[in-house]
Amino acid sequence: MDADKGEMAIQVRDLRVDYGNFIAVDDLRLEVPRGEVFGLVGPNGAGKTSTFRVLATLMEPTYGEVYLDGVDVLENVEEARRIVGYMPDLAPVPRDLRVREFLEFHAAAYGVSSSRSGRRERVAECLAEVALEDQAEAWCHRLSRGQTQRVVLAKTLLHRPRVMILDEPASGLDPLARRDLRNALRRLASAGTTVFVSSHILSELAEMCTSLCVMNRGRLLAAGTAEEVWQALGNGRRELKISFLKRAAEAVRWLGGRAGVEDIREADGGVTLGFSGTDDEQADLMEGLIREGFRMRAFEEKRSSFEEILVGVAESNRRDG
Amino acid sequence: MKQEMEKARKHSWWAVLSNPIFRRYARSRLRPRGLGVALLLSGLVAGFIFALARSVAMNRIGMEISDAERAPLVGLVVLQGVILFVLGTAQVAGGMTAERDEGVIDYQRLLPMSPLAKVLGFLFGLPVREWAMFGVTLPFSVWGLWRGEVETAVWVKLYGVMLSTALLYHLTGLVTGTVVKNRRWAFLVSIGLVFCLYTVIPQLAKFGLVGFQYFTITPVFREALPGLLPRDAGAAVETAQRLLPTVKFFDLDLPEAIFTAFSQAGLILTFVWMLCRRWRRSESHLLDKGWATGFFVWTQVLLLGNALPQVEPGNLFPSRGLTGLVGFARPQPPDANEAVAVIGVYGVFTVVMLWVFASMITPTAERQRAGWRRARKQGRKRLPVAGDAASGFGWVALMAVAGGVAWWIFARGVVESKWFPGQVVDGGVLAGFLLVTVALGLGYQALLEWRGARFVGLSMLLIGVVPLMAGAVLGTVRNSLTPVAAWVMGISPVLIPAYGAGALLDLSELPALLVRAVPAAFKFWTALALLGMLRVAWGLWRERSRIAAGEN
Repeated sequence: MDADKGEMAIQVRDLRVDYGNFIAVDDLRLEVPRGEVFGLVGPNGAGKTSTFRVLATLMEPTYGEVYLDGVDVLENVEEARRIVGYMPDLAPVPRDLRVREFLEFHAAAYGVSSSRSGRRERVAECLAEVALEDQAEAWCHRLSRGQTQRVVLAKTLLHRPRVMILDEPASGLDPLARRDLRNALRRLASAGTTVFVSSHILSELAEMCTSLCVMNRGRLLAAGTAEEVWQALGNGRRELKISFLKRAAEAVRWLGGRAGVEDIREADGGVTLGFSGTDDEQADLMEGLIREGFRMRAFEEKRSSFEEILVGVAESNRRDG
Repeated sequence: MKQEMEKARKHSWWAVLSNPIFRRYARSRLRPRGLGVALLLSGLVAGFIFALARSVAMNRIGMEISDAERAPLVGLVVLQGVILFVLGTAQVAGGMTAERDEGVIDYQRLLPMSPLAKVLGFLFGLPVREWAMFGVTLPFSVWGLWRGEVETAVWVKLYGVMLSTALLYHLTGLVTGTVVKNRRWAFLVSIGLVFCLYTVIPQLAKFGLVGFQYFTITPVFREALPGLLPRDAGAAVETAQRLLPTVKFFDLDLPEAIFTAFSQAGLILTFVWMLCRRWRRSESHLLDKGWATGFFVWTQVLLLGNALPQVEPGNLFPSRGLTGLVGFARPQPPDANEAVAVIGVYGVFTVVMLWVFASMITPTAERQRAGWRRARKQGRKRLPVAGDAASGFGWVALMAVAGGVAWWIFARGVVESKWFPGQVVDGGVLAGFLLVTVALGLGYQALLEWRGARFVGLSMLLIGVVPLMAGAVLGTVRNSLTPVAAWVMGISPVLIPAYGAGALLDLSELPALLVRAVPAAFKFWTALALLGMLRVAWGLWRERSRIAAGEN
């Protein structure tokens, strides 16, 4: 294990997954530091689930290297399985077991404790973590969608995995449960667990993740903090609406010659424009207007939302076929 | 604490009772409500068989007590067979498919247990209720064996082989459940496969391929039968059984139970190997190329070792076996055409085996492309020869040669026996047989690798089945069309080995209408098959070169 691998909880190098002639993941490179809640977002077919399945040892990639906590996932499958906790999308549960039995089975298989009482204790802890203590004796298949998600999350927590891979864990959860999930993931991260979580709802991930990345067509489009991803994908573009006391038409002409300004429209004594640039450049623009003597009555900034960015990505996929 | 965790984390494959997967199924399948009904039913049926057979033996037939105690034994063995072999196998196949159907199989895949531990967990866990039902019937058997004074050696052999046979059948169900994706299909396919492997194929014993019956409990049950029946009936059966062949493996005289265990062990190991491969990597071929080739050779050795010793006593020939069984005074010497037919059946079986093994180790074009992408990325110029992505062509060529040689050895054993003095099977026949196995085996493999399973399936239907149907209809129209029918049926690769035996062996005494048609059709269609194989192999080579170069 080299020093580099030691610092990173997840390392993916040149990962490629093919289904016939379709490239699901295309030479993906990714690094996730320890203790992060790292989000992976992308439209349907972006390659999220394939990436997760390779990381979780459920699928052999065409090629590439994957390390979880320094362990080569492709070479040391059993070792990797001890450190990873995986929760699939639309997490299923068996029809013939009760919630407690389901969790006790996994606790035993993961060797959570050598004693039965120890395993029961851990199962109770995990059920409490997902607020399902009262459903311990319920049949797994009788649970609601949201409860099922929480049971599988509890299963994933049982063996205290060092790396957790959660594929769309929030789907099917009500707002309260989402908040609880967010808090639980943050608690885990603060205890040193690395959480890699996917969603196709970017704003949801932005709320719960310390950093995130966006995938499309098997490739990584951007990675970093939510702000950095927004800057990279939205090109820092925002819409500005400025209301002037007078000289609006003159202001339009002045603004037309400035860098980063586009799509200027004059309406109701105000001006709406698109601006691409950094916050400093935006501040310079404002200062310029004041220096030129344009008296501003009101100012409004509207950023393109994460959802709009993703919709843009998905629409460009559709256009390109 | 950490040490405790590490200790607890390791699940030894042999500790079945503490295997979490076994315990998971013990929990779900041994719930009092479902189990109670199952135990009640099996107990009732076993009790009924026990009471009825004893009562009839004692009160109606007037047997002595120790004889009457034996009366229910055969019925109980049959009931136990139904519980373990039929219900157990269906449960294993259905249960395994249900795991995938429900989507929870990925959880099992992720468990940090060795593949073997997982296989054993499922193998003993899924049919745990059927084992419990079997257990309920045991007290009745134990009573009968004890009070009926059945020799220990008899019941130890019988129940030993019953257990190994149950494991073999359950493994068959497990393999089917792992491979077949649809739940209903898995159930049907597993029952079909069990029926085919352990009921239909053993019938080939009647045509010289006696080895296959040792995959079943039948030979040991037959051997144990005199000891299980009331003494008078047992003695009669024993007398009849003296006419049956004893089991031999080349020059070795082996007890039925030992040879059955030996035969089943190869199949059990192979099934376990298949399952371990699939648990390690779900995309793996069922068998790797080396194991498949080894298993093919092992099967041929098993068949030859078991069949050749039956030639001199004449037990290999269906007519002598039949006349012996029905008690004809003097069984006739085997007919020459009977010998040719037996050799033909061996050839057909060998070719079919080649196709089955070729299907198991031949990679799809997608898999090859992925393999080459990986190889290029790793800077390699070749694919690993035994890897799943590598071509199966060379391996099938090895099997084809082994099969051709085995077929020739079998033919020599039969033809150069005391039954056909002066007859010789020369090197020319070996060349002919090799031509058949190589052309048909490699042709199939190359086509499968080049054009895919769908194309091969359709081709087999059109070339393999339709000519048989057309020829059968033509042959019934009028006698003069019989040679034409022989030509048409000869198109089918399934029949070419049988034609080969008829055409190449001097022993063959074909009817007048076929005496020219069969050899001519054999030569023509085999030559065409060979040319076809070369053409397909060329196409495959070009396609593989393109894939290797990354052109598509």
